[in-house]
Amino acid sequence: MGALAIKNVTKTFGDTQILKGINIDIESGEFLILVGPSGCGKSTLMNIIAGLESPTTGEVCIADRAVTNVAPKDRDIAMVFQSYALYPTMTVRQNIAFGLETRGIAKAEQNEIIARVAKMLQMDHLLERKPAALSGGQRQRVAMGRALARNPKLFLFDEPLSNLDAKLRVEMRVEIKQLHQRLKTTIVYVTHDQIEAMTLGDKIAVMKDGVIQQFGRPQDIYENPANLFVASFIGSPSMNFIPCHLIEHDGELGVSLQGMASPYFISLAGRPNLRARLGEKITLGIRPEQLDVAEAQSSALECKVKITEPTGPDTMVYTEVNGVEVIARVHPRLVPPTGQSIKLVLDMKKVVLFDPVTESRI
Amino acid sequence: MNQERFWRGLVYAALVFAALYYLIPLYVMLTTSVKDMEEIRTGNLLSFPQNIGFAAWGKAWSSACTGVSCDGLSGYFLNSVKMVIPAVLISTTLGAINGYVLSKWRFPGSNIVFAMILFGVFMPFQVLLLPMAQTLGWLGIASTTTGLVFVHVVCGLASTTLFFRNYYVGIPDELIKAARLDGAGFWRIFWRIIIPMSTPIIMVTLIWQFTNIWNDFLFGVVFSAGDSQPITVGLNNMANTSTNVKEYNVDMAAALIAALPTIAVYVFCGKYFVKGLSAGAVKG
Ligand SMILES: Nc1ncnc2c1ncn2[C@@H]1O[C@H](COP(=O)(O)OP(=O)(O)OP(=O)(O)O)[C@@H](O)[C@H]1O
Ligand SMILES: [Mg+2]
Repeated sequence: MGALAIKNVTKTFGDTQILKGINIDIESGEFLILVGPSGCGKSTLMNIIAGLESPTTGEVCIADRAVTNVAPKDRDIAMVFQSYALYPTMTVRQNIAFGLETRGIAKAEQNEIIARVAKMLQMDHLLERKPAALSGGQRQRVAMGRALARNPKLFLFDEPLSNLDAKLRVEMRVEIKQLHQRLKTTIVYVTHDQIEAMTLGDKIAVMKDGVIQQFGRPQDIYENPANLFVASFIGSPSMNFIPCHLIEHDGELGVSLQGMASPYFISLAGRPNLRARLGEKITLGIRPEQLDVAEAQSSALECKVKITEPTGPDTMVYTEVNGVEVIARVHPRLVPPTGQSIKLVLDMKKVVLFDPVTESRI
Repeated sequence: MNQERFWRGLVYAALVFAALYYLIPLYVMLTTSVKDMEEIRTGNLLSFPQNIGFAAWGKAWSSACTGVSCDGLSGYFLNSVKMVIPAVLISTTLGAINGYVLSKWRFPGSNIVFAMILFGVFMPFQVLLLPMAQTLGWLGIASTTTGLVFVHVVCGLASTTLFFRNYYVGIPDELIKAARLDGAGFWRIFWRIIIPMSTPIIMVTLIWQFTNIWNDFLFGVVFSAGDSQPITVGLNNMANTSTNVKEYNVDMAAALIAALPTIAVYVFCGKYFVKGLSAGAVKG
C-alpha cells in the first residue's frame, strides 16, 4: 500500500519557485529521508505534506487518499519540529494532552495514552515539568512523545536532532531507528546531515534548489550517485573529484593521473559512451576508501603525503593528484610519514565519471 | 582607585540632583495640600507644614466649585472610572486579536493593513476632532461616556495593535503549526497558547492605555458634556472657577486626586512594565 505519494508538486512564493516538480512515492512502513543543503525547500515540502501550506500545483496522497484539500488535523499525521515547538506555558503532560483534548478524547483515555508514551520514551519523571526546565535532549523526547501519542499513519520529522550536541545526536538517532523498527509507522525525516540520512533511511531523496537530484536506497545513492552534487553531498569525507583528460594509450581509452612522479595511466576500457569524448575533459570521482596502498612492486600512483589524520580505525591521507587535493582512507599501519611518498591504487570497479560541464554522470 | 571613587561620586551627585529636581514639585504639592490657607499665605513654599490637616482634600473631593455646581471632583472621578475601565479592556483585547492576526495569520495585504495601523500611531489626534464629532453624532453617542469610550478605543487601537503584533512576531511560527496539527483552530490557539504567553505585554498595554486614557484632556473636553466629563476636565473647570481667594491647598489636593490612580498603577505594576518592555525587545 502506498503510504505517501507526492505528485508533481511545485511551490511558488511571490515570483520565486521554491519547489520545482517533486515526485516521491513510498510504501507503508518505510523511512524516507529528505536531505539537502539549507534553503533547498525541505521544510517547505514538509509543510505541504502536513497541509500547513498548500502546493501551487500538484497533489499529495497519504495512505492512498488525496489530501490536497484536507485540513492538517484531518490528515492523520504527526510532526516533530526543528525547534520542538513545545507549548512553553504548559507542563509536559499538558503538552501531550493538548492534541488529545482537541480531538475530544476522554480524560481517562488521555491519561492512559500519556502513561504509555511516557513509558516508551522513559520520561515519567518529566511529566509535571515545564519545557523551560528541560534539557535539549529531554525537550526533543517530549516533542517525539507528543507526536507518538497521536498514533498517526505518518510521522513527519523536520530536522529533529539538529539542536542537540554530537553525542546526544547519535544516541537519539539510534533511538529513533529502534522506535521505527518497533512501530513500523511510515516516517518522513528531514535532515541536512548525510550521516543521519545514510544510517536511518530506507529511501533517500537528495534535494537541491527545489529539485530531487536522486531518489533511492542509501547504498545505491552512495555507490551510484546520479551527479556530481549527490556524489559530493553524500559521504564523509567527501568523494574525491579529479579533473582529467580522456586520452588513448596503447589503443585503450583512459586518463592519466599525475602525482609526484611520472604520470600514471589508468584504463577506462569497457565503459560505454566514452569513445565520443576522446580528448575532452572529464571528472573522475573516487571515494577515499576506494583508494588503497599498493603492494610493494606493482605499478601505482605515487604521490606525496601532505597531511595525515588518524581517526582510529583508519587514517585519512591527504595528497595531491592532478593539482587537486585527494584524500585516501588507509589502514594506519600502512601510512608513511608526512612528506614522504605513498603508492596508491584505485578500485576501478567503483570509479565514477562525470561530465565537468553538465555535472551529470557519464 | 581614588579617581574612580571621584567619578562615581559625581555620577551619584548628578542622579540625586535629577531626582530632587523631579521630586520637589511633588513635595510642594503634597505639603501645600495639607496646609491651611493661613499658613500658605504667611509661610514659605518649601517649608514643612506646621499642623497637617485634610480639609482641603475633603473640599476638593466633595464641595469645591467646578463652574456653577459645587460638588467637588467625586462625580468626575467616577465618570473617569466608568470610561477608563471599558476603554482599556476593549482596546487591549482588540489590540491582542489584531496583533495575533497580523503576526500569525497573515493574509494577502496584511502588511499594508499593518502599515496603515502604524500610521495611526503617529497621527496627531487633533486632526480627528471634527470627523470624530461627526461620527459620534451619527452613532447617537455624542457627549456620553459610551462615546468617549468609543473614541479612546479607536485611538488606542493603533498602539495596542503595534505592541501585541511586535511581541507576537517573536513567538515562533512553529508553535502555531504544532497547535494546528494538534487540531486547534484560530481561537483555541489564541486562548490556550498565545494568551498564556502574553502576560508581560498585556501588563505593558494595560498600563500604557490606562495612563493615556486617564490623563487625556483633549477628547474629554471636546467630546463630553455635563454628566459625562472626566476628571481632567473637572480639574480644569475647578482651577478656572474664579473665587475671591485662590485656594492653593484645594487645587493641589484636587490635582493629586486626579493623578492618584496613575501613580498607583505605576507603583503596583511598574515592575511589569519594565519587564514587559525588555521581554518584548529581547525575545527573538
Ligand atoms: N513563506 C515564505 N515566503 C517566501 N519565501 C519562503 C517562505 N518560506 C520559505 N521560503 C523560501 O523558500 C526557500 C526554502 O525554504 P525551506 O525552509 O523549505 O528550506 P530548508 O530546505 O528547510 O532549509 P533548512 O535546512 O535551512 O531548514 C528558502 O529560500 C526560503 O527563503
Ligand atoms: Mg528547514
